[in-house]
Amino acid sequence: MLYYIYDGSFQGLLTAVYEAYYRREEPFDITPENNFSGDLFARQVHIKTDGDKAGRVFRAVKEKISPRAIKQVYYVFLSEIMQRETLIYCYLKKGFKLGKDVDLYLTDKTVHEIQKVSQKVGREKHRMLGLIRFRKLVGDIYYAPIEPDYNIVTLVAPHFARRLSDQNWVIHDTRRGSAVLYNKKEWVLAQLDPGREFRLSEEEKDYQQMWRGYFNSASVPGRTNTRLQRQFMPVRYWKYLIEKQEL
Amino acid sequence: MELAEKLKILSAAAKYDVSCSSSGSRRANVPGGVGSAAYSGICHSWTDDGRCVSLLKILFSNECLYNCAYCVNRISSDTPRATFTPEEVADLTINFYRRNYIEGLFLSSAIYRNENYTMELLLKTVKKLRHEYNFNGYIHLKAIPGADLALISEAGKYADRMSVNIELPSEEGLKLLAPRKKKEVILKSIGSLTENIKRYREERKVFKNTPTFVPAGQSTQLIVGATPDSDLKIMRLSETLYKSFDLKRVYYSAYVPVSNDPKLPRISSPPLVRENRLYQADWLLRFYGFSAGELLDKQHPNLDLELDPKASWALRNLHLFPVEINTAEYRMLLRVPGIGVTSAKRIAAARKVGSLGYEDLKKIGVVLKRARYFITCRGKYFGDVNIREDLIKNKLVGSFQRKSDGKQLTMFNDVVPYR
Repeated sequence: MLYYIYDGSFQGLLTAVYEAYYRREEPFDITPENNFSGDLFARQVHIKTDGDKAGRVFRAVKEKISPRAIKQVYYVFLSEIMQRETLIYCYLKKGFKLGKDVDLYLTDKTVHEIQKVSQKVGREKHRMLGLIRFRKLVGDIYYAPIEPDYNIVTLVAPHFARRLSDQNWVIHDTRRGSAVLYNKKEWVLAQLDPGREFRLSEEEKDYQQMWRGYFNSASVPGRTNTRLQRQFMPVRYWKYLIEKQEL
Repeated sequence: MELAEKLKILSAAAKYDVSCSSSGSRRANVPGGVGSAAYSGICHSWTDDGRCVSLLKILFSNECLYNCAYCVNRISSDTPRATFTPEEVADLTINFYRRNYIEGLFLSSAIYRNENYTMELLLKTVKKLRHEYNFNGYIHLKAIPGADLALISEAGKYADRMSVNIELPSEEGLKLLAPRKKKEVILKSIGSLTENIKRYREERKVFKNTPTFVPAGQSTQLIVGATPDSDLKIMRLSETLYKSFDLKRVYYSAYVPVSNDPKLPRISSPPLVRENRLYQADWLLRFYGFSAGELLDKQHPNLDLELDPKASWALRNLHLFPVEINTAEYRMLLRVPGIGVTSAKRIAAARKVGSLGYEDLKKIGVVLKRARYFITCRGKYFGDVNIREDLIKNKLVGSFQRKSDGKQLTMFNDVVPYR
């Protein structure tokens, strides 16, 4: 059985798709190198990430299938679910055969799964646009720790770069140890140690206090419905919400 | 008084306004400024009552001249009073916004001194935010009915959405409970906004750089259950507001008992199920092509509390069912109980590339619990009872009672007070 092993990057995965196509091979599985546990009889092919080849696949998906397809593929990649590579590979094979109509085949398992997972990632991205909470640090930096289910930190960055364009900010995925940093000009993705401590600016506590006060007084007493609240705002996101922290 | 104390008083006083949306505007960030609007709107948190927090919702002042019986801020009410300054509102908005607590500001006010004075203060505040603080986030501003129309139009240049609350669905209701609010004055304010919005949209088609005027449209709120008005009357009013006044949203607010005024009905808890049904009916008007006259009539002036309005309509019109999922027009798919816009779109897409059976519907994520009684797939019917009003109703109501465990509140799971 043929296994493609790649470096775990999105470019690497697209390169693997390129190679499969031009070498006319059918890999049984595509797996990241740090996660390979193939059997004794596995034939392994190591894929060398190539920006040019990846770029060609990227454009081909966009033009020959649809812009929606490339977006879905990227979102599924960021979901980090098991076997995402193989799912993406199967979807792209179908897509190159059927063209933009591939997304009409909702009864097809692969198409359904791609749409479902990409929707989940999209939903969490949208949710995070609201649930991210910045804390103002000494030195005029706004810092927001998050622990999303999916690796969405690069998906939310452009929104905040547009919106909070005149302040320095950091969105820190403490589970994955990665962060996007913005310096009033552009944002970059970097590694950031999850255990790092930060010092809050002087006025920060006051605004946090007022926000908590506001949050508590905005609820209508006769209509308490915490089940509904949890449905929209699952408890796993509460850890970094200012309004849900005890003093 | 300290800012935190003011915020506490003036946010508590504003929470009975149920409007929460931050959608419909594409206001862009300008270099050196803070903020931008997101067209879809963004919810930032959810309070213990399950409602979303999107905007910082506050009153400028709760020192009110009026004495509306249903309102916590009426002059005769014994409640702590406060008034912000424009600087305080701007400071709170900007600092909450920079921390991503909020999507923008929702600014309303009690009638402080007089209508014009209040409107001027609101105007001054939003002007300050836009010009001095370079704020490009979302602003929902109340228009004070009775204030000079010129002031209201001026404010429209700075707001993304504006609203005038009708509050009580009938003139008699206003006379009884809010004698200082006049129907004509309210409608005149709404009408002038409608006209200005229309003009702005026309001009924008020709000149791309036309300054914005309430780009996210206007909305209003109706209180439900404080007066004996029927659902028919309420839905007819909403229909007119959508069709003739081009409103973006009508909000319904179940009356929460706040006083012992003998003019008000004695109720122990707000009519939440009725409120939910009105929202469902409202959705049917806006997204499903229904008219108020189809959902309610003189024989049925109130929405069924046991069944959602689409299901009750379908049961009264069983001769139109079952519809064949593979051939029915899209607008008819939308009328099947249990099939929403998302499911209808999925069906319409999937059937382009192959005929759909019952199992296929499940695969593409259509929930069939209610829909199965109203459809056929490739000519086959999958309901477990015959197509008879009483039999199907029994099934539908039974599933509702099991789901809710007898508690009314959980029905709120269906309400997404979002747009």
